[in-house]
Amino acid sequence: MMRRTIPMLILASAGLLLIVAKFSPFTVSWQETVLGWFNILAAVAFVLGAGNLLAVNLEQISSRRPGWAYAAITLFAFAVTLVVGMFKVGAVPNGMHPDIHLAGAHDVPQAPFGWIYDYMLVPLTSTMFAMLAFYVASAAFRAFRAKNIEAILLLGTAFIILLSQTAAGMFLTGWIPEDSVFSFLRLDVMKRGITEHIQTAGMRAITIGIALGVAATSLRLIFGIDKSYLSKT
Amino acid sequence: MSDGSQAANQGGARPAKRPNTFLWIALAVFGIVGLSLNAFMRPEGMAKRLSVVTTVERVLVEEAPAALAPEGSQPAEAAAAPTATAKRKWVDPDDAGLAAGTLRRVEGVDPISWETRESIKPSEAELLAGEIKPGGPVRIEPSPIDSLGIWVAALLTLFILSFVYRDNPFYKVAESILIGVSAAYWMVVGFWSTIVPQLLGSLAPEVVRAYAMPSLPVSSTPGLDAALAFVPLLLGFMLLWRLAPKGGWISVWPIAFVIGTTAGIRLVGAIEADLMRQLVAAMKPLVVFENGVGAAGEAVRMFDFWGTVGSVVGVVGVLSVLTYFFFSVDHKGAVGKTARVGIWFLMISFGSAFGLTVMGRITLLLQRFEFLFTDWLNI
Amino acid sequence: MLRIWRVPAMLAALLALTATAPFAALPPDPADVSAVDRPGDGGAAVFVRWRVPAPDETARAIVERSRTVAEATRDGAADEPWILVAEVDPLAGAGDGYLVSGLPNSKGDRHASDEIVFRVAFIGTDGERTPAIEAAPVVARANAFLLDKIPLAIVCVIVSAAVLAWILLARAGWSVKIRRIAALEAIDEAVGRATEMGRSVLFVPGIQDMNDIQTVAGVTILGRVAKTAAEYDAKLEVPTSRSIVMTAARETVQSAHFAAGRPETYDESSIRYITDEQFGYVAYVAGRMVREKPAACFYMGAFYAESLVLAENGNAIGAIQVAGTAEASQLPFFVAACDYTLIGEEFYAASAYLSGERDQLGSIKGQDLGKLFAAAAIVVGAVLATLASLSPSGPMAGASTAFRAFFGG
Repeated sequence: MMRRTIPMLILASAGLLLIVAKFSPFTVSWQETVLGWFNILAAVAFVLGAGNLLAVNLEQISSRRPGWAYAAITLFAFAVTLVVGMFKVGAVPNGMHPDIHLAGAHDVPQAPFGWIYDYMLVPLTSTMFAMLAFYVASAAFRAFRAKNIEAILLLGTAFIILLSQTAAGMFLTGWIPEDSVFSFLRLDVMKRGITEHIQTAGMRAITIGIALGVAATSLRLIFGIDKSYLSKT
Repeated sequence: MSDGSQAANQGGARPAKRPNTFLWIALAVFGIVGLSLNAFMRPEGMAKRLSVVTTVERVLVEEAPAALAPEGSQPAEAAAAPTATAKRKWVDPDDAGLAAGTLRRVEGVDPISWETRESIKPSEAELLAGEIKPGGPVRIEPSPIDSLGIWVAALLTLFILSFVYRDNPFYKVAESILIGVSAAYWMVVGFWSTIVPQLLGSLAPEVVRAYAMPSLPVSSTPGLDAALAFVPLLLGFMLLWRLAPKGGWISVWPIAFVIGTTAGIRLVGAIEADLMRQLVAAMKPLVVFENGVGAAGEAVRMFDFWGTVGSVVGVVGVLSVLTYFFFSVDHKGAVGKTARVGIWFLMISFGSAFGLTVMGRITLLLQRFEFLFTDWLNI
Repeated sequence: MLRIWRVPAMLAALLALTATAPFAALPPDPADVSAVDRPGDGGAAVFVRWRVPAPDETARAIVERSRTVAEATRDGAADEPWILVAEVDPLAGAGDGYLVSGLPNSKGDRHASDEIVFRVAFIGTDGERTPAIEAAPVVARANAFLLDKIPLAIVCVIVSAAVLAWILLARAGWSVKIRRIAALEAIDEAVGRATEMGRSVLFVPGIQDMNDIQTVAGVTILGRVAKTAAEYDAKLEVPTSRSIVMTAARETVQSAHFAAGRPETYDESSIRYITDEQFGYVAYVAGRMVREKPAACFYMGAFYAESLVLAENGNAIGAIQVAGTAEASQLPFFVAACDYTLIGEEFYAASAYLSGERDQLGSIKGQDLGKLFAAAAIVVGAVLATLASLSPSGPMAGASTAFRAFFGG
């Protein structure tokens, strides 16, 4: 009962309450309150994440499993960042309250936490993001081996759209007069037609389907049809 | 690919390929020599950074009591502002209030001073040089810590990029640093931007104001705030109970609460924002006219061929893709044909979205190269 | 003598009056001025109504309101007690009346204003202003229900009723046959292949937290994948990017091992937290994929730009990849790089489909019923819009507008 019935009751009542809350001005702000609670809960849950990160990496180091040196690097980077961030080491004092150390700013580049952010975290994450350029290219090249009509449609469209965004598009079809009967052959006109009509229609239908899927999923959870989140122990 | 991966799986004892190794050593030597030449032989060097250092000073002041005012002082006023409870604040030593006598220094409290630093490039320093007076609070000095930062950033960028070739120790180092730094970063952000202001700030606002956030806004309903903050505190406590040796099952309660609220919020949200809005947008006229001007200059309605085509395509597209999503009927016969048209619409949509993204991704990569070449190599 | 002298004076005055009358006469004062709280709203709005006795002589109406107690305490004493609300067409006060919104709430009550007095004055065609006529004081209150949400409530009820009704029909024994979804049938195959090859199965539940319904759906699918993996005794790895997702995934996987009758093979350490940072997480997963070479990769949840990094790396190591997301912007990349992709609604239907339970399959039928309603609404709306387009002044134009307005358009 404590393990299955009560969680199901909590889920159902929380869900139903928030559905009804949407329709009255007195309760419409509950959504925001609950989202605020979730943010706090997520921040508290960091303890679990940090605990897991420490446990996994310490175990790897102590058992000298292959790659333990990398685990040590992770732990070191984690510990340093956490300490300088939590204690605001080297923070620039707040002009209004220079006597309160913790009121200072630790996210400026001259403080260690800000330095780590600017010179380590940002370059690392943005380079990881930039790697997408290679992956986009490799996905496109592989798809050239496309054998069925679906893949050809996907790639052909991608090619037209890409071409229309470059100077090559203008060069190839820019000479077709814009007010002629054949203007639809211009790449920029094709791009507009594809994005405004076909892509919009496709994405619209996907969105409608998603909305119904979300509704059905929510109902399955609220009415206890889907209980997979519950432990059976 | 497959033979190499299997070899790696069996312990990674792959025989080194001699010509390859030589090539890499040659490349490394060439790189190091090139970098050294670039760094030490050119006058502007590479990754050189300066700091604009500003000295800031603050003194603790309080309002000068009215009793000390030389004339026109009224006893009532003086009593209303007893010195012991006079509002104290930290101000610049050049504050106008000090000069005018409305503020006075608090005895026995030393001024606090510190320096703020802003990193700039040598070229920017030249532009600033004329504006800075010697002996003033602002000066420019070399900033080795920022130069080091540029080097670290550049090396980490290269380490990550090396993954394009294949997995290697440099990438693993960068990955390990990234995991450690980013996990801690978000925890620190969560602590200082959520736990302190929202949780502790509601439960014990005075403590938070005294030790961490003096500018925490004063709530008009402190009791209610504290009561409401107990809910996530309790939920968090249940979640963390997993770490206890017994009773870890209670962590399902907060999870059930989160899933329940998410389901409730998203059910209505999806129907309102996604379903209804998209339905309206899909209700297009199948014949489109446009307003034009007739031969005599009068307003006429003209049949808009491409507008009509676009509109019909839009409606047909939505209906055929919805047919594709229909789960109850097998994709055979008329339904199958319609669903197939739906798939084509989907594929063209995806292709279009794909094509629109490519340029953005390439731009991101170019920005990283720009960082390497301009900020680091200074070419 | 004196009396006789008066006659021409009176005549002259009379003449002067009649001569200027069409220009200088004040319009009649506003009549029947009243202010009523707008019903069924979130408060802060009032309808001000008035009648215009002589529309031809009235050029504009000036609506003013008194300063509320809340405003007076906030701003201190003001010289002018009346605040100009608007200068409008005099006929704006007819019917429902002129809507004044954005009124300040009372200090003590967030859902009602203090008492407010509205007054209306007319300006004649020549610019002369009549005295202002006050309405009885009014309080702008929030009402228990929002009237403009009624269409939303109706649609919510229709969609929910469709799903719930089908769940009941399924219980009553109606057929719950669902067409085959290739991506879902591939799950067993992929896990089986991983087992045969002695390699692991990777499950990525997206990068969002449990307050995203996609993550909830992803974790549900994880339950089915974990059950299959437990039955085959395949090694399952679940790196997560959120602490709460890690906790929920552990519950789910443990539960799946129990359901598979293999509670002893549950290994908590295979579900680990990496980092909340999107690209930090993906850097780990990509590296892990290249090193461990899982034979099957599942991406089920909310994904952003990292989708292609994952899918392309999975492709490079030759894994069978099944993706599912409702993040429309990432579908193209999964479709291009994965073997199977659950697109949007398929992703949400997947967990119900995989469970094989009659109730859950019934809910998918209910989803279909909802789609029929949606398609019918589009067809009706499009036909009405077409008729309206053919005759913009015909009766169908109004019907089309009303139909769209119901859906909020």
